[in-house]
Amino acid sequence: MNAKANITRASLAAGAVLLFAVAPGIRAQQNGVQHANDFTSTEYYGPTNQQQIKSIVSGAEALPQPGGLLIIKQLRLRTFYPDGKPEIIVTAPECLYDTMSGTASSAGPLHLQTGDGKFRVEGEGFLWRQTNSFLIISNNVRTVIENGAITNTKP
Amino acid sequence: MKRFSLIVIAVWCSWMVHAQTDATAQSSPASVTTNSPDATRPPRAPTRIDSDNSADFDLNGHQAIYRGHVRVDDPQMKLTCAQLTTDLPQAGGRPNHIVAETNVVIDFTDDKGQTNHATSDKAVYLYNVQNGVTNETVTLTGNPQPQVENAQGTQAGDVIVWSRENTNSHVRFIGNYHMVSYQKPGEVMMGTNSPVTVVKTNVPPGTVENTSTNMQ
Repeated sequence: MNAKANITRASLAAGAVLLFAVAPGIRAQQNGVQHANDFTSTEYYGPTNQQQIKSIVSGAEALPQPGGLLIIKQLRLRTFYPDGKPEIIVTAPECLYDTMSGTASSAGPLHLQTGDGKFRVEGEGFLWRQTNSFLIISNNVRTVIENGAITNTKP
Repeated sequence: MKRFSLIVIAVWCSWMVHAQTDATAQSSPASVTTNSPDATRPPRAPTRIDSDNSADFDLNGHQAIYRGHVRVDDPQMKLTCAQLTTDLPQAGGRPNHIVAETNVVIDFTDDKGQTNHATSDKAVYLYNVQNGVTNETVTLTGNPQPQVENAQGTQAGDVIVWSRENTNSHVRFIGNYHMVSYQKPGEVMMGTNSPVTVVKTNVPPGTVENTSTNMQ
């Protein structure tokens, strides 16, 4: 049970990394992390809104690797506004989270969209540096802005 | 993440909206352009922004850079360039600084349905509000000389600046301005067999300015 809790915590951290801005200070605490399947972790807003879900991280598999690395497969991360409306959904078939350097990376695809689906970005290969909040999508970056997502930017 | 999404949306939407308006002003600098209310317009098709290479999002530095055959595909405008850099404003804000660099090509359709083609080495969009006055500029610079072309002809200058202060806008061609007008047979040159007549106008180095008012 304790091991499961650890892997859940680590998965949440990795997911938060992919989410870029959910919790910049989060570091995986994964000493003693073990393999986990079909994990889900829920984070709530702070004391002023304890009942409201802030994010849900799920994955099909989490595999600890030597050197403080953690492979997460079928990552799916959802965040919510304080009023409960969906904010962002991030998915990646697989990513490698380096707990030592605080980076998450993958040669595979990354897909991100807003809760209403009107803004979507995807690409192949990505690196997230947690220390300076820097995201690089390496190739074939595709951004789609659906009608209605465009705000009136005119003065 | 909320900040990220809002930033990207705001950045690109702002570029779309203002680039269209800019181009309209440049193509018809002496006319008054009034955009119809959004409520009367049909739903817009999606806007797509693609780049073959990388896109960097520096959330601390509030900047995003797209590299490698950057394409912006909007129902009313298409832009390509080698690199596009934009600031990332805070949530709810809007970008103040967007730079498209290297082989910048903007194709757009104005309110009259006329296609326009603008080229430059660099395009810079700036936005600020001071004392309640909104100022926006789009500046085309670089080598080869920036130019805007449509069915009527081509206008070029060393620097082309479209600017707007609240509801007033104007376009300036700075330095080595020249214009090439295309006139249909019979309009001016009777008896010619040429499908079009080219009228070249060269102006000494300086500034040529056209002003439009009541822009929305």
